[in-house]
Amino acid sequence: MGGATPMEALSRFAVDTPLVLWLLPLALLPFRASAQRVVPVAALDAGPADPLSRAIGWALRIAGSLALAGLIVGIAGPYRRGETVTRTGIGAQVSILVDRSGSMNETFAGRQPSGAEESKAAASRRLLGDFVGSRAHDQFAVTAFSTAPMLVVPMTDRHEAVRAAIRAIDRPGLDYTNVARGLAMSLSQFGAQGGTVSRALLIVSDGAAVIDPRVQGTLRAEFAKIRPNLYWLFLRTKGSPSIADKPAGEDTPQAAPERHLDLFFKSLGTPYRAFEAEGPEAVAAAIRQIEALERDPIPYTEQRPRRDLSWVAFGVALLGLLVLVAGKLAEADVRRGRRGIPQAAEAPSERIAA
Amino acid sequence: MTVLDAAPADAAPADAGPEADIVYRPRGRVPGTAVGAHRGRDAGGLGTFRDQVPFLRMPDARRIDVRATLRDPFEGTHVRRFESRTAIEVWALVDLSASMRYRGAADRMALAAALCGGLAASATRIGDGFGLMGCDGTLREDVSMPATRRRGIGASVRARLLAARCTGARADSMREAARRLVGRPKIVFVVSDFRWPEALVAEVFAALARHDIVPVVLADASEDEDLPAWGLMELDDLEGAGRRTVFMRPALRRRWLAHERARADTLRRIAMTYGRPPFRLEGRFEADALTRHLIGT
Repeated sequence: MGGATPMEALSRFAVDTPLVLWLLPLALLPFRASAQRVVPVAALDAGPADPLSRAIGWALRIAGSLALAGLIVGIAGPYRRGETVTRTGIGAQVSILVDRSGSMNETFAGRQPSGAEESKAAASRRLLGDFVGSRAHDQFAVTAFSTAPMLVVPMTDRHEAVRAAIRAIDRPGLDYTNVARGLAMSLSQFGAQGGTVSRALLIVSDGAAVIDPRVQGTLRAEFAKIRPNLYWLFLRTKGSPSIADKPAGEDTPQAAPERHLDLFFKSLGTPYRAFEAEGPEAVAAAIRQIEALERDPIPYTEQRPRRDLSWVAFGVALLGLLVLVAGKLAEADVRRGRRGIPQAAEAPSERIAA
Repeated sequence: MTVLDAAPADAAPADAGPEADIVYRPRGRVPGTAVGAHRGRDAGGLGTFRDQVPFLRMPDARRIDVRATLRDPFEGTHVRRFESRTAIEVWALVDLSASMRYRGAADRMALAAALCGGLAASATRIGDGFGLMGCDGTLREDVSMPATRRRGIGASVRARLLAARCTGARADSMREAARRLVGRPKIVFVVSDFRWPEALVAEVFAALARHDIVPVVLADASEDEDLPAWGLMELDDLEGAGRRTVFMRPALRRRWLAHERARADTLRRIAMTYGRPPFRLEGRFEADALTRHLIGT
């Protein structure tokens, strides 16, 4: 926007029917002919020079020209093209990956919610909803996953849409947790934009699953390319193993998927934090922390819709016409004065003749 | 066009009644031999008594003044001399530039035509010749007429002028017209609105200096006194000098009138150098007013 040259600024304007613009030379007519009643005089220099009169004369001509030009341009239907403006604000690209497995419908206590209790999904919905609205220039993408990943909202700065998507995450979940495919999709949400943007991948889940070692390689490559700040909001059900807990038995991914997912994330080499939340307050605290961490300049795009500009043209025409009407009303009635004299002079002679 | 439409209306009152003659008196004594109505420079045997001269200066035995001869103690013989009555040529130099198309309270060309028609009739009635020259950028041969003493040319002069097309932007051929008026002094009516450059006015008057110049200014009330006090006017120059918007207001009107007065004063100053102040012909042509002006100045 700031670096736009005049030509670029001009190229944003367009008209519906450009053919009408061929009439524009008509706008020069007021400089040849006048709408005022013309008084023929023997010599122009009869009167003294008068700057005010000269100014009024030019004003009338310009007003006539403007009126014609305004009408013609107005009829042609001018508008400013819709455009996408890139600006810089404070915020981050946040890709939210939400677990939609069936266990999210349970409370933090691991039961079906009843009465005033709220499910893990409902709590995360409430808190994430606040997170989304808090900063104007954040961009969000929402991906849900259970067995298969679901693209809910692509990366966008339309917070209303994002909030709507988040409002939908407490719909009853289904099936199992397949983290790997969800991660892959939420990573793909970042798109190919430049590396200056602060990117955050926020995983909200209440459990983990084994990531296939074959997929792990692909994910690693993706993470290395995009380098998002990784936040794992682990909604831990009371009594279930923590991220750090070593299982009593065999320490395999199958036995302790949370721990091994955590280890996998740590091994990625990207900034990574895990928040283990055992209740809504803990979730809120975790989200506040994320909010505070992600503060970087972010270029964001703003959509400007096509704007109809014919009112400007018609307004200019109206202004010109008003000036012209004022000029017309201020016209001196020279003719009547002239006609009056011969009549007055002839009337007595007729009376004498009679 | 408009000129022709308006002409009968304006000319009708002049035609209706017995037209008053324009009476004029040339400055000084008129040279020439043609018998006419004005006091001649030459002394002759007929006319009003002028003076007595010794017989040897005018050896005309028929005019011996017996009484004066007897009264002379030196016994000289005296002869009476009588003033000859001489005709003079009256010329009208009419400006035919486009500004003469102006119509205010009266049609300017109709006024000029009425004036010249009356002048032609009056001049030929007393035996003077009347000649006409129309001037715009060039001398207008279609309008011009050599001096003639034929009577009853008033109507044709008027028709000639009313039919004249005024299109020129200048009246420069007034100079040439002045050069053409050679010979004995004449009475020259310069009929114009005198919206000329001051230099041209001075030059034309200087070229006509040997004649008796009567400037007739065609004026119009709508050009000065009847200007509106308020309002916008879009002035269009008849001579093609363009247009001009004027926002008339009392202050400007005052300046305007002062400007017009200054122009009239300039013309008057120049004209007075050559003998007569300009005659202002305005509204309607009245022969009596012109007569008063001619006799009074």
